[in-house]
Amino acid sequence: MSLGAYVGRRLLHLVPIALGVTILCFFLIHLVPGDPARTILGNQATDQRVALLRHQWGLDRPLPVQYGKFMGRVVHGDLGTSLFYGVSAGRLVLQRLPVTLWLIGFGALLSVLIAVPLAVIAATHRDRLPDHVVRAVPLVGLGFPPFWVGIVLLLVFGLHLGRGFPVGGYGNGFTGHLHSMFLPALTVAFGISPILVRSLRASLLEVLESDYVVTARSKGLPERRVLGRHALRNAVISTVSVLGVNIGYLVGGTLVIEQVYALPGVGQLMINSINQRDFPIVQGVTLVFSVMVVLVYLLTDVAHALLDPRVRFE
Amino acid sequence: MNARTRLLFLAILLSVSALCATAALASRSATPKRGGSVTFARIEDSQSFDKTNVFQNESIWLAEQIMEPLYTVTPDGKRVKPWLATSVKVSNGGKTYTFKLRPGVKFSNGKAMTSADVKFSIDDARKQSKGWGYLDAAIKNITAPNPSTVVFNLKFTWAPFLADIALFANGIIPKNWNGEPRAQFYKHPIGTGPFMWDKRVVGQSVTFKRNPFYWQKGKPYLDSVTWKFVTDENTRELQLRGNQIQVDEFPPFNSIAKLQHTPGVTMTLFPSTRTDYLDMNEKYPPLADRHVRRAISHAIDRQAIIKSVLFGHGKPANSFLPPQVPFYNPNSGGLQFDIAKAKAEMAQSKFPNGFKVTLLVGAGAQVEAAMGQILQNSLKQIGINVTFKQEDTSTEFQDVQKQNYQLAFSYWTMDIADPDELVTFAVDIKGGGAHSFFTEYNNPTVVNLSHKAQRETNAGKRAQLYNKLQQIAAGDAFLGFLYYSPFRYAYSSKLHGFFVYPLGNYHLEDAWLG
Repeated sequence: MSLGAYVGRRLLHLVPIALGVTILCFFLIHLVPGDPARTILGNQATDQRVALLRHQWGLDRPLPVQYGKFMGRVVHGDLGTSLFYGVSAGRLVLQRLPVTLWLIGFGALLSVLIAVPLAVIAATHRDRLPDHVVRAVPLVGLGFPPFWVGIVLLLVFGLHLGRGFPVGGYGNGFTGHLHSMFLPALTVAFGISPILVRSLRASLLEVLESDYVVTARSKGLPERRVLGRHALRNAVISTVSVLGVNIGYLVGGTLVIEQVYALPGVGQLMINSINQRDFPIVQGVTLVFSVMVVLVYLLTDVAHALLDPRVRFE
Repeated sequence: MNARTRLLFLAILLSVSALCATAALASRSATPKRGGSVTFARIEDSQSFDKTNVFQNESIWLAEQIMEPLYTVTPDGKRVKPWLATSVKVSNGGKTYTFKLRPGVKFSNGKAMTSADVKFSIDDARKQSKGWGYLDAAIKNITAPNPSTVVFNLKFTWAPFLADIALFANGIIPKNWNGEPRAQFYKHPIGTGPFMWDKRVVGQSVTFKRNPFYWQKGKPYLDSVTWKFVTDENTRELQLRGNQIQVDEFPPFNSIAKLQHTPGVTMTLFPSTRTDYLDMNEKYPPLADRHVRRAISHAIDRQAIIKSVLFGHGKPANSFLPPQVPFYNPNSGGLQFDIAKAKAEMAQSKFPNGFKVTLLVGAGAQVEAAMGQILQNSLKQIGINVTFKQEDTSTEFQDVQKQNYQLAFSYWTMDIADPDELVTFAVDIKGGGAHSFFTEYNNPTVVNLSHKAQRETNAGKRAQLYNKLQQIAAGDAFLGFLYYSPFRYAYSSKLHGFFVYPLGNYHLEDAWLG
């Protein structure tokens, strides 16, 4: 099967997945107690005013009817209107999406930039001090919760040490985003890079002992070339899968980091909308998240195949 | 003059010069400066700027910067004073109010405000059945005999009328929503206030800029004000310290002491109308027993709650009305912590051996969890076993309003400078629309006093009615009065003239950066 056909087929899989996600999400969020009308009308709400608002929003209709209406809108690209803000839910989600994509993309990039050199150092110094240090120190990063790491980074780099980075926010323009998103991305990297280091180190150790590496060395190739051209390319294949799984997890897990750094991303929108029982936004974000996760896994598979010619698209 | 005398003279001269310079600096810093922008960071984003239908403080306090009422609340929160009107004449036995409008008031689009705008604005507000229209129910009709006069005819005498007119929902907007559809107008409202609409990124920030046509000459001083949505309290504090924001709205109680000693930060606790309560649902038979409710009220260790939850920044509540509300009676006999009295009340009740009760607590609501622990320990001493039912805050809110609870925490902040809004909500089981603060408390004497106070325009007589009402309600212990707490604001020491009223709103036309 060609790459194009494979990608097309996987994209078609998106339809039943997205449909399943919308059904699950729609009925789960409506099963949870809590009424958006009461939340919005506040503690002065009387039963009469709550009923009026519920009727206006169509929340007094049977759930299957509400779901039918929701899906009818979704196929036309309309996620409905936010109950809290009274504006298009789709527009709100799309406005927030770049922030989350920046966080995930920049975080993944920093994770790789940190993990690859550390893994190479560890693998080439097996069971020596650098290896022990590389294996132990990043694990500490895994032990700290992201909100704590975020606050410490803000304190150190945002308030002290010359106030080199802004204390939260998304910044303006590409360089502004790059500047503002560095600490949040570093916080993401703190969580992912230790896993990547361990995975890549293990693969590298295995690859470095394989016959073709011994052959490359015996041909007199410099060690840098052996590592870069022969060992790393093959070792990185399994790490790509690990990275893909972690990015997939990150899609729904950026919430804490967005909260700490006051980033107006999708995760932050999601949690506020759940608290406000803003059903259209919760449904919209879930739909977007599910599509993103499927796409990340698809990209991981494609990258895997491109790195390893033995992998066939089936 | 010898050398010693010359030295002394020089020292005196230098001291006097230093004193003069300090005084000059002080007087200069007290003179408002024009220019600069201020950014607020707060835990919630604004929902809507439709002042007639929005109940969220984070929206209301912003809308008030754009749309102003005829009368406004005084800084002590207890009275009203002329604002877009200069005076009012009451006639026809208290059923006709004739307002004279302030000359020279313009909307931010440059058009003059007239009586037609006032009539339109309040007619529109009172039509809103889902919104604040119920507070204008006494109005029979409004006429505009000339551009500077507005006449309100009431259906009956209504003592809180001027306080109701000062409500944000009765703020003045251009007639016919300035030619736009209603919903469109409130996406970027126009008013006579010190600031005008600039921009909004939904879910992130709202920015207002100076209204060049503002009727108070020279004001506002600030060029613009931005409200940012920053959910994490630690981040808000760090942003204040990093000068990325100038105002941190409602920092947590446990950070107050630290912020009070942070250089460059002013931490102020403004007296508020916020009152926290323990709701006791009388649909649960033990709580319908007056002695049981009195026992619980006596068993609440308010000082322990204030110490551990508010870190000392609060006062025990002794009435369901807060001190910043007119006719608050400090001697209404609100029950205070006394375990011996609590045991005596339990002994007189139908449940002398105690009972089990469930306390609704918001999941992740640390304040409620801490108060619940204190309450659980106290009530155990009088034979009441409390178990917690944790729910996320939205569900908790719904269950309280649907009276699907036994014990729960709640609070109130005033919207008008009159007790009527809270009294009706809290004790008028039928008229208040909230089953007496969702407790099912029903004392016809109290309801009758509340109705009489609504129609009594003599302030002295009204005070007597509310005194009696508070005393009976306190004796019935229909709510556990917990504590009064302040509004907490940490802001840049460069920000001057920032003052929060007991109702929670602020007049940013007086704020300036020095």
